[in-house]
Amino acid sequence: MNKSSKAVSNSAFHKFIYKPEFSILIILIIMLTITAILQKNFFEAKSIVRNINAFTPLILLTMGQAVVIISGGLDLSAGSTLSLLTCVLTFVMKKGEPVTGVYAIIIAFAVAVLVGIINGIGIGYLRLPPLIATFATSFMWLGAALFLRPTPGGESVEWFKMFYNISGAKNAPEFLKIFGTIVPPGLILVILGCVFWFVVTKTKIGRYIYAVGSNNDSAYVSGINTAKIQMTACIINSLFIFLAALFFVGQSQCGDARMGGPLVLRAIASAVVGGIALTGGRGSVYFALVGALILSLVSKIIFFLNVPNAYQTLVSGVIIIIAIASTQVYTSYNKGAMR
Amino acid sequence: MTILETKNIKKCFGGVVAVSNGNLKCQKGKITGLLGANGSGKSTISKIISGVYGADAGEIIFNGKSIKYKNPNEARKAGIAMAFQNLSLVGDLTVWENIVLGVEDKKGLFLNNEISKEKSKAIIDQLLPGLDINKKVYELNSGEKQIVEIVKAILEEPKLLILDEPTSALEMAQVKSLFSYMRILAKKGVAMIFTSHRLWEVMEICDDIIIFRNGENVTSIDFNKDGKDPEKIIKYITGETQKLKVKKNHNEITEETVLSIKGLTYGKFLKDVTFKLKKGEILGIGGLTGQGQLELMLSLAGNYPDVRCDVEINGKKIKLNRPANAISNGIILVPGDRQREGLFLSHSVFTNTIFPKLGLKYHSLFIPHKKYRKECEQVIDALSIKTYSMDAPVSSLSGGNQQKVVVGKWFSFDATVLLLADPAKGVDVGAKIELYQHIINQVKEKKMSVILYASDSEELIEYCDRLMIMYEGQIVAILEGDDIKDETIIATSMCIR
Amino acid sequence: MDRVTISQNNIAYRIYDRYKKLIIALLLIISLFVLGEVIVSNFLSLEQILLTVKLASFIAFFGLCQMIVIVSGGSGLDLSVGYTATMTAVFTASIMNGENGNLWIAVLIAISLGIMVGLVNGLLTSYVKLPPLIVTLAMANILQGGIDVYTAGRNITGRPSPILRIIAAKSTGIFPNIFFILIIVTTIVMIILYKTKWGAVLFGVGENETTAYLSGINVKLVRCTAFIISGILASLIGLLLIGNMGIAFKDMGSNYVLPSIAAVVVGGVPLMGGSGNYIGVILGAIFLQTLTNLLVALGWGDAGKWLGFGILLFILLIVYVRNRRSI
Repeated sequence: MNKSSKAVSNSAFHKFIYKPEFSILIILIIMLTITAILQKNFFEAKSIVRNINAFTPLILLTMGQAVVIISGGLDLSAGSTLSLLTCVLTFVMKKGEPVTGVYAIIIAFAVAVLVGIINGIGIGYLRLPPLIATFATSFMWLGAALFLRPTPGGESVEWFKMFYNISGAKNAPEFLKIFGTIVPPGLILVILGCVFWFVVTKTKIGRYIYAVGSNNDSAYVSGINTAKIQMTACIINSLFIFLAALFFVGQSQCGDARMGGPLVLRAIASAVVGGIALTGGRGSVYFALVGALILSLVSKIIFFLNVPNAYQTLVSGVIIIIAIASTQVYTSYNKGAMR
Repeated sequence: MTILETKNIKKCFGGVVAVSNGNLKCQKGKITGLLGANGSGKSTISKIISGVYGADAGEIIFNGKSIKYKNPNEARKAGIAMAFQNLSLVGDLTVWENIVLGVEDKKGLFLNNEISKEKSKAIIDQLLPGLDINKKVYELNSGEKQIVEIVKAILEEPKLLILDEPTSALEMAQVKSLFSYMRILAKKGVAMIFTSHRLWEVMEICDDIIIFRNGENVTSIDFNKDGKDPEKIIKYITGETQKLKVKKNHNEITEETVLSIKGLTYGKFLKDVTFKLKKGEILGIGGLTGQGQLELMLSLAGNYPDVRCDVEINGKKIKLNRPANAISNGIILVPGDRQREGLFLSHSVFTNTIFPKLGLKYHSLFIPHKKYRKECEQVIDALSIKTYSMDAPVSSLSGGNQQKVVVGKWFSFDATVLLLADPAKGVDVGAKIELYQHIINQVKEKKMSVILYASDSEELIEYCDRLMIMYEGQIVAILEGDDIKDETIIATSMCIR
Repeated sequence: MDRVTISQNNIAYRIYDRYKKLIIALLLIISLFVLGEVIVSNFLSLEQILLTVKLASFIAFFGLCQMIVIVSGGSGLDLSVGYTATMTAVFTASIMNGENGNLWIAVLIAISLGIMVGLVNGLLTSYVKLPPLIVTLAMANILQGGIDVYTAGRNITGRPSPILRIIAAKSTGIFPNIFFILIIVTTIVMIILYKTKWGAVLFGVGENETTAYLSGINVKLVRCTAFIISGILASLIGLLLIGNMGIAFKDMGSNYVLPSIAAVVVGGVPLMGGSGNYIGVILGAIFLQTLTNLLVALGWGDAGKWLGFGILLFILLIVYVRNRRSI
């Protein structure tokens, strides 16, 4: 018994090396190393917290996007959805009334679900091409956001700050504040997202999302309601965006109808770098998270190399193309990609 | 005891009738074979029974009750399961995840993977012992995938199991073990419908067979009562009765080789095909549909960039990696799937007819409309294409006339080798003879050599000087002269092994 | 197949069928104007109409870029047209410097930029087989970044050549000059699309790439070329933009991207490619501009415009672009 299990574990390790997941982890380690070298106080608590806070929005958006892509879709409206939710939150909340914070969360949640339903109807039930359908809906959310907040602004309640920085929130209970200095809220939100997704994968919905993305017709013929699953994936994505919106408003206390635009492409690129196949059906949401980390670290590295701010967009655009192109080339090389 | 009966099933897709009058019966514990050529309706009626399609008309009685399933899931719950020919597997999931797909075991809201794995392993071990159920399906070869597909259908212990061409990717040993398992199921009282193109398989495992042709069942034979007579079966499948045909000599064939093909291999479709085309002859390709004939035609036309073979045309070595190459070397293809490969459906008859000219290297920038319209008119006349105007969209023409456009657009080219992939598909009998006459005239006039594939063996018998029979991607026989007749063709096509 | 025979022989039916989509687009425009007139007086005045057509011309030009890429098939779409135009405007502003002398250099630069952008787009979509939407979106980002770099710490100086100002901003009598450019462009486009082999090949590739391939056409090359042409055209439009505005600024072109796609869809050009009439795109552009004017007149402003566009595009997608299951 011992001998055979040893043999098995050896080959399992060997198999892992050739999987894309392995190279993703290697790249992560490389990026961490470079960043640690460039940023002298990288390992200090303060800068770790700052880094986590900077990375959180992209990580959440990437995880949500990963779910949609795995299900066979794509969501170009994620950025506008984020903006819309920040506008909704700051529209409902009134500065002196703490309870409006609760209302805001409930209403924003409902709006997020509604966005997911509409995107889901387009992709799942109407079977519109996801790319163009969500391109169209992104302008719907932008318009709605502009209605609520023609210019950036709005109000937020004090305790809302806890989503970003617990000690900054004046009315928060003491124990929470202490907790908050150890574990930044951004991290908590990400962990919350991970736990949520973990639970989903333990149900049939999780597996069906992969099945529908891998082969929609086979899934249908096996009795799966493919439209409903794709819509569910869109709703899950919206929930991740919802968490990101809480974070943003906690940080900035204002809503902005145009803030989300640039984030979508970075989220998609992060997902692809993290091993999610654009064709659907394969990849891990947790590794998509790693992809977001990698892309964020790359931005940091560019910053520390004293590349002028103006070059940031240019370079990230180029990186995105390289990232997507190389994964495409990698998968078509890998002949095992037969459906 | 009759467990399933279908009465007068009708099903159309668009304007095409797939099943015109489907009647069949299955008994508990018996294996019923479903035979027929491709397009005879047997696959469609299987899908209707299993809930993938809804019948347009007719009745299905299962276990004494008249039923109508809206989707495959309902049928599955009622006890009808189907193993699909085109495989209903999801490549990125593992073997066991595929087997339980749609009917996973649950502990409350959560999946119970342990039980699912056990269940899958139990059945897999009987059909394919040693298969690692944790492998992803895309890692399996086609034989293994087929077994997994069958296991998926068997999992829920259906009362009626439909196996749609389950053996096409299996090796002999796997077929045998599948058959033993089927016999065990039969003893348990499961009724089965089994389709296959291999006559010997059907005769070995089935208790009775139903033969479909042109969308309806033409006969049923009970092996226990009527015995097994392969020739009778063949006759029912093809619908032919004995006909005396006089071989007509169409061409002056020289012994000169115009095209030489050696070792043509393409994926799993073509295996080491080697033959020579003589100048001036009409070489036919026959055999059951789907044995690689169309792939052979497409390879010769240069459609597959990664095909491997040695090609010589008139002694000159060429590469067939792009259609443009084939065309410039005089190899012209009249494609078989007119809608997917031969036409621009929303464009006009005129545009379709003159399009190939535009691909030529030295074509002028401006299209000489006047000249081309005259030529188009000539083509329409020559082939008697029925259309109200040459500017009508080709989608408005009937299937047969569309086919004539596909043939007609290559008329102005001087082909060295003309590849005809089912040129008379969908054309009615009277027009067929006319169409072939025009083609033969052109061929004689321009001294072309022809490779002809026709799904209707009558055409092959009528027009070919030599006939190659293909089976599973290889040439298994080359018939000449008097050998080119129905019996020999079918016999070589089906009764291999 | 008797469904064909009877009705098809009727001439009126034939004309209707062929120009169905154009007629619908025209009707939509007319109904908008009528609606506008009811809601806001003076909506249906000559100046309004001329102004609408002038502004719509720019949308129509960008729509031409989109149409070429879309017609070539393969889910083609070009989201980089806006920033290509902006980039050209920004780069050539100081070169032209308000004189006519350097106009030809500006045009050369414009064409080269367009070729470069289009080539990258075309190679990545046709040969590396990346989805056009993502490639052109990323390209738009890169161009935006490039503009950021160029304008960082420096003001965009420079004025367009007077010739450009005349073409783009001024009018002859009551007709805006850009209108004449539109007519010239339309004529050239119609000739190329319908009288030359390039047009026929483009439509063929978009309609059925297998059939085109089997007829000896190099499908990848055709699609790559479509992107290159789109890039060149977008770049030249940038010159017109700066001619119209008098100066160049960072987001000059980006607001035209969605309307250019919407114009194509409204104009009845199928997003899968293979057919389409440029006149439809022009009508679509006019429709969108009219819709914008109406929304502005109603006081809806920015929000309404984007919301309206988004919903409109979504509905049009439902009507024109649904996928069927392929079992």
